[in-house]
Amino acid sequence: MPADPVQLLLGSTARNGVRADGDAIVVDRLEKRYPNGTEAVRGISFRVGAGEVFGLLGPNGAGKSTMMGILGTLVRPTGGRATVAGYDVAKAPQLVRGQIGFAMQEVGVDALATGRELVVLHARLHGLPRREAARRAALVLALVGIGDAARRRMSEYSGGMRRRVDLASALVHLPPVLFLDEPTEGLDPHGRAAIWDAIERLNQELGMTVVLTTHYMEEADRLCERVAIVDRGRIVTEGTPAELKRTLGAPHAVTLEDVYLRTTGRTLEVAA
Amino acid sequence: MSSATWLLTRRTLIQFPRNPMVLGFSVAPVLMMFVVFGALFEAVKQLPGFPTDNYFEYLAPAAVLMTTVPGIANSAVGLATDIQSRYLHKLLTLPVSIGSIMAGRLLADGARLFLQAGAVLLLAIVLGAQIASGFAGALLMLLIGALFGIVTFGVLTANLALKTKDPQAVQAIFPMAFLLIFLTTAYQTEEQVPSGVLRAVISANPTEYVLQAMRDLMLTGFDWGSIGLAFAVIAGLALIGLPLTIRNYRSVYS
Repeated sequence: MPADPVQLLLGSTARNGVRADGDAIVVDRLEKRYPNGTEAVRGISFRVGAGEVFGLLGPNGAGKSTMMGILGTLVRPTGGRATVAGYDVAKAPQLVRGQIGFAMQEVGVDALATGRELVVLHARLHGLPRREAARRAALVLALVGIGDAARRRMSEYSGGMRRRVDLASALVHLPPVLFLDEPTEGLDPHGRAAIWDAIERLNQELGMTVVLTTHYMEEADRLCERVAIVDRGRIVTEGTPAELKRTLGAPHAVTLEDVYLRTTGRTLEVAA
Repeated sequence: MSSATWLLTRRTLIQFPRNPMVLGFSVAPVLMMFVVFGALFEAVKQLPGFPTDNYFEYLAPAAVLMTTVPGIANSAVGLATDIQSRYLHKLLTLPVSIGSIMAGRLLADGARLFLQAGAVLLLAIVLGAQIASGFAGALLMLLIGALFGIVTFGVLTANLALKTKDPQAVQAIFPMAFLLIFLTTAYQTEEQVPSGVLRAVISANPTEYVLQAMRDLMLTGFDWGSIGLAFAVIAGLALIGLPLTIRNYRSVYS
């Protein structure tokens, strides 16, 4: 197994073009009203620059996963507009799908497949040739800490292992834009640290734009260059973690968790 | 076939042997019923006007449909499982069309049904049956059987899977497939059906026209009139069912 999967991934060929500048994501007055009348997203706007790590924070039911679903083309917006890698999510979803990787909150894995088969299949469906797909699959599975277990069927995997394979399948084609919906939920501290390291390196060394949602303020503080705190379908505040902390006092004395609690008026226990 | 369709077909084909119980129990009961029904109703062949002196020859096309029609429902069980596990949603975030996702599963299951129904015909031959149209006719019979399974129970159960997202709901409807086949001349000729009402129901059942074509291939040879009618029935059902299924597939998006 290679000592440094990211270094080997850097040498990969046939990588999708990562946009060097400009906005990777533009969200303009986006709305989502479900048929039962629930307004999950109520006029949200934000931009994510190419190569940026952007966090969406907020309590359960705030609209984060719906936002991710819209950007990942699984949920149709009912108002406003959003583009990902230059493509409109509502008008050109198929083109958006070619530019993104999406690790979902409710992990979607195929229990009858092995971890390796699933990741190779996803690489092939993104158009990678067979040998390159197999090579990349081995690298991303090593990157997320799934070694020999990749040969076992996923019905035998723990929840944390499934989450890591899901993440590997979202990474294997080295997408310009990566959506991670609560990527470290259910992982032990060691697994969480490994995923954080992988996200940081993919962002810094491959220039991958990352949008993530999380309940862990420590995670957002460490990984995100900017965060937006969402509550009841609206963004209540947005900025760099340091900027948001300054709004409450000296940045070193205030945590992102304090900002979260102040802006949403809810405790993390309620949120989680 | 697009590359994505082939990759998704391959995924399902690879996984069939990993679920041997489903693979075995989707054909073993039919093989047993074929032998048991053949023995139980053998005396029917002695009735005047019965078209063959080997009852297994008469019964074989019905046994093929007994394999393909309920058998395709396992495809919908797989679909419901993919929806329940959220794997279908994962696939929908990839640059793959809904058509490829649908076709990938149907082609793999079509191939499975082809082989399973082929086993039924082999058993019929072992039991002394002869196929009048030969090997080519046998392949055509299997093709008609597999296609009819897809456009009837395949469509019905796929839509049930898409609406309920529940594999158990799909499994609960399996017995309906047998009703579809029993209300035909599967076991006895039309003249032997005692009730006029039942004869009218049989004439209105599209399965009967497909069965007739398959029985002609078994007993007399290539009757292009009945074969054409069978394909027309299949095409008509596909025209109704497939757009509905695609529409319901799209409803997976919120």
